[in-house]
Amino acid sequence: MTEQPTTEQKPRLLRRLRNEKPLGRILVVVSAALLLVVWEAWARTNSPLILPTPIAVFDRLVSYVSAGRAWPHITITVQEIVAGFALGSFMGIGLGTLAAEFNIARRVIMPYVIITQALPKFALAPILVIWFGFGTTPKIIIAALIAFFPLLENTYLGLTTTPALDLELFRALRAPRRVTLLKLRVPHAVPAVFSGLRVALLLSLVGAVVAEYVGANKGLGALIIVSQGMLDTELMFVAFVLLTLLGLTLDKLHGLSYRLVLRRLYGKTASSAGRAASRVSV
Amino acid sequence: MDSQPAGSGHIEVDRVTKTYASDAGDIQALDAIDLDIAPRELVTIVGPSGCGKSTLLRCIGGLIPPSEGRVLIDGEVVTEPDPRIGYVFQRAVLLPWRTVEKNVLLPFEIGGRPTSKDRKSVHEALEMVELSEYAKLRPAELSGGMQQRVAVARALVTEPSILLMDEPFGALDAQTRDSMNVELLRIWQEAKPTIVFVTHDIGEALFLSDRVVVMTARPGRVHEVVEVDIPRPRTFELVEGDKRFWALRHRIRAAL
Repeated sequence: MTEQPTTEQKPRLLRRLRNEKPLGRILVVVSAALLLVVWEAWARTNSPLILPTPIAVFDRLVSYVSAGRAWPHITITVQEIVAGFALGSFMGIGLGTLAAEFNIARRVIMPYVIITQALPKFALAPILVIWFGFGTTPKIIIAALIAFFPLLENTYLGLTTTPALDLELFRALRAPRRVTLLKLRVPHAVPAVFSGLRVALLLSLVGAVVAEYVGANKGLGALIIVSQGMLDTELMFVAFVLLTLLGLTLDKLHGLSYRLVLRRLYGKTASSAGRAASRVSV
Repeated sequence: MDSQPAGSGHIEVDRVTKTYASDAGDIQALDAIDLDIAPRELVTIVGPSGCGKSTLLRCIGGLIPPSEGRVLIDGEVVTEPDPRIGYVFQRAVLLPWRTVEKNVLLPFEIGGRPTSKDRKSVHEALEMVELSEYAKLRPAELSGGMQQRVAVARALVTEPSILLMDEPFGALDAQTRDSMNVELLRIWQEAKPTIVFVTHDIGEALFLSDRVVVMTARPGRVHEVVEVDIPRPRTFELVEGDKRFWALRHRIRAAL
């Protein structure tokens, strides 16, 4: 056989971006520097109560973190995110699988899902505080509720979009339903589930922080409310920076675990599989 | 693959009719198809697209039930997918997260825990399609033709007495398709399953088969069954140099 092994066709835009990577990076750095300069200049003409300068924010960040005062807030918020994300993902993947596997389950689950989605989850925060107090429980519940939906939807989507011919193959091989689920539909759903996990992770961060606004004495959201009460805008910006860093870290962790799973499933072809998977809608 | 398949692979299609319900009313895909395919025969089905070739194949394979009539394999009525049948589809339908050998092992895994004898069969099947050295690669690392050969190995690994092939090489380029057809004949000589091969390519059909079933569309009917009396072993040079090839080709083309 003299046929050439196929090379996965790369999206043209992606290849172009990759080629332009050095230029792209330079542009990002330059524009960021420009932004900081403009911010600094603008802030100097203003009261620090309205807008602190980036240099002041940075100094405050360093002193705040090195004094060890940031950690209690960070750990509380991370705990809420992780617990809420875990709970929401578990529910979302579980119910998504049930809905995909059993028509009757889908018909029962979906109306509830749509109703709970129509209700803004943050509106529930005050009643959750009444029920569960000012601890982490209400934040975890809000984070879980908000993380739940993208996972339910993506799990359902991933499990119900198995190509018809693949299903026919399994039917021709007389595969029992359970085997078709485990050996075909679940691996096929992995990319969709992971893109759901990504959205859920960042949404549970939003959920935890906003829930802290309503009533909490610890956590980065609580820190924002406290600094607002003290008119300490600088501290508020410190909290913003910490939240951004936290969000970036969580997203990186997600990306890392996704790559590990892809590598495990697809071996050397993981990168092309990942590209194909990135076309799965969120 | 040296042991002979258990059954003999005799297929009887007995007045099979298939009607689909659609918004525009019932569509008759197959109309009273009668066929008798002998054990170890290689029969191709040609016809215009939409003539129900694939539907007929799926009825034979027990993937869909006929609306009327019945299909018998070795005298037994087919009601569901049958272990005596191996399938090759239009696409290779390989699982991209499995290596080549794990894809070929799949039929055994579905039946339970694969034994060492099963693994040996996988080895032999890959040898038969000349892909042993690619066993540990994943499908994305193979060309389209190689992927389809993995699909053939997967269909043969359980030593079925019947191989149903639904335009298996239709998506390949002409050169690859020719070499796949030569290989298919070699494999057929070795393993000797009954093969029912659907195609829309008359040349391919004549090169491969003992008989060509010519179908017409809407409703799908057997127009005629053409005996291909070109001697074996066949090569493209021999077949295309044969007057009978061109006469038959002309006759089938006129019928379609």
